[in-house]
Amino acid sequence: MRRVAIVGAGQTPYGEFPTLGVKELFAWAFKDMLHSVDKGIDPREIQLAYIGSLSAGSGFQLGQLAALLMGHVGLPHVPAIRVENACASGGFALYSAICAVASGKCDIALAGGIEKMRDVSSTKTKYWLGISGDTEFERLAGLTFAGIYALVASRYMHEFGLTREQLAKVAVKNHRHGAMNPKAQFRREITLEMAVAGAPVAYPLNIWDCCPTTDGAAVVLLCSEERAREFTDHPVYIIGYGAGTDYLAVQDRDCITSFKAARMAAQEAYKQAGVKPEDIDFAEVHDCFTIAEVVAYYDLGFCEKGEAGRLLDEEATSLGGRIPVNVSGGLKSKGHPIGATGCGQAYEVFNQLRGQAKNPERQIKNAEIGLSHNVGGSGGTATVFIYRREG
Amino acid sequence: MGAHISIPMYQRAVKQRYRLVGLKCLKCGKINFPPKAGCKYCGNFDQFEEAQLSGKGKVYSYTIIAGAGAPPEFSEEAAYRRFYPVVLVELDEGPRIVAQLVDVEKDQVEIGMPVELVIRRIYTEEDVIRYGYKFRPKKD
Repeated sequence: MRRVAIVGAGQTPYGEFPTLGVKELFAWAFKDMLHSVDKGIDPREIQLAYIGSLSAGSGFQLGQLAALLMGHVGLPHVPAIRVENACASGGFALYSAICAVASGKCDIALAGGIEKMRDVSSTKTKYWLGISGDTEFERLAGLTFAGIYALVASRYMHEFGLTREQLAKVAVKNHRHGAMNPKAQFRREITLEMAVAGAPVAYPLNIWDCCPTTDGAAVVLLCSEERAREFTDHPVYIIGYGAGTDYLAVQDRDCITSFKAARMAAQEAYKQAGVKPEDIDFAEVHDCFTIAEVVAYYDLGFCEKGEAGRLLDEEATSLGGRIPVNVSGGLKSKGHPIGATGCGQAYEVFNQLRGQAKNPERQIKNAEIGLSHNVGGSGGTATVFIYRREG
Repeated sequence: MGAHISIPMYQRAVKQRYRLVGLKCLKCGKINFPPKAGCKYCGNFDQFEEAQLSGKGKVYSYTIIAGAGAPPEFSEEAAYRRFYPVVLVELDEGPRIVAQLVDVEKDQVEIGMPVELVIRRIYTEEDVIRYGYKFRPKKD
């Protein structure tokens, strides 16, 4: 397999854009990506595109979304594939595009993701967002994903003594980080008191434990090692990439306080990259709910099983800590446009590794190796990527 | 606008929803619930027999759904009850299943509490009341 580099990445700001539809959002991220290619690129060089999306605006465009979007940016003849794995759609689009370049099938591929979530009613949103689990059984118990993650949280608290305050620390940290990110949806800090006392959603989770619904798109340009220098002297290599899946329903899993799909993806990525968790300088992880970030710490090897609360107490995962997690603000504060999230994480890692985090106060100093972790549903699917800056 | 579970789709799972019938793998002896084409425990594909589960078990984890956490088809229920507990139950025979917990105050729900199955109204779709399993605290 050939080595694969990221030579460009773009992202819309995440938030609410009443005047923009899926085509306009995608074009915005695409343009942002083109501008990021140091030596420029003729977009017609792109040979293949994978675009992740769950619903493309709650289902108004059910089929052939990827070709529709590529046509809108003037590339109707680039073979385009829509990828759907719920909240990990973007990660699986990236995974697929990397595999296409690594295999030699093409030299230059696009991975993207998009979701338009804000211009539908909250009822319709809850409908769409709750049917990516094992619908026949989980949904009919009266659960949405908040409820499913709440089951994970209750069990985690029971087994490992995680406290309500420790959960809230994830939200407080990620809002603090997001406040510094010009592309984040909620650029607002919250206090621990607020985060503990939010309106209940699904005990033990309250509104501050949940990520928002978001409009947004992200695009990553991948290139074979042979051609990377045509486009930049500062490529970021994806040195490890892994994917995992599991039963969708938590009732079908032996263990619910760790996601096997994410552990599998991480093990594969670490093995391929030849690095260990302690070599990772920073990570973007899938914090759709605060408990999801807690679970991720162990799944990615950042702590021993059940030790995540201690990591939060020590502020080890805050900017300036031992292993900063979600300096972008994460899904919690940066926002979670479902299909875009996996590629938006890659956008953040690409910029951090190249010293281009825009706002100097949020730039991680001298980072060499980054990681991103994208989870579908409540752990039914997952991807993990490890990136290294070279040159 | 709720998740769409058509009447035929619901009907196909009546054995599970009304009677908690699982599939016992004749190779490893374990019970799969809900039934699977491939045994979760050993991968066996074709030697199963139906097995009746007792409906008795213990709460493995739980949540209390408040209004904002309820799917649209359960929002009416969440509105008039203000909350409803959902439990992940480990049945005595091994499988875990997720369902609502009824006949209980929210501060009484805890991990480890013994529960038993009851058949109750789940919700209404296509003007048809859908019944199915829920749990209640075990009565001595």
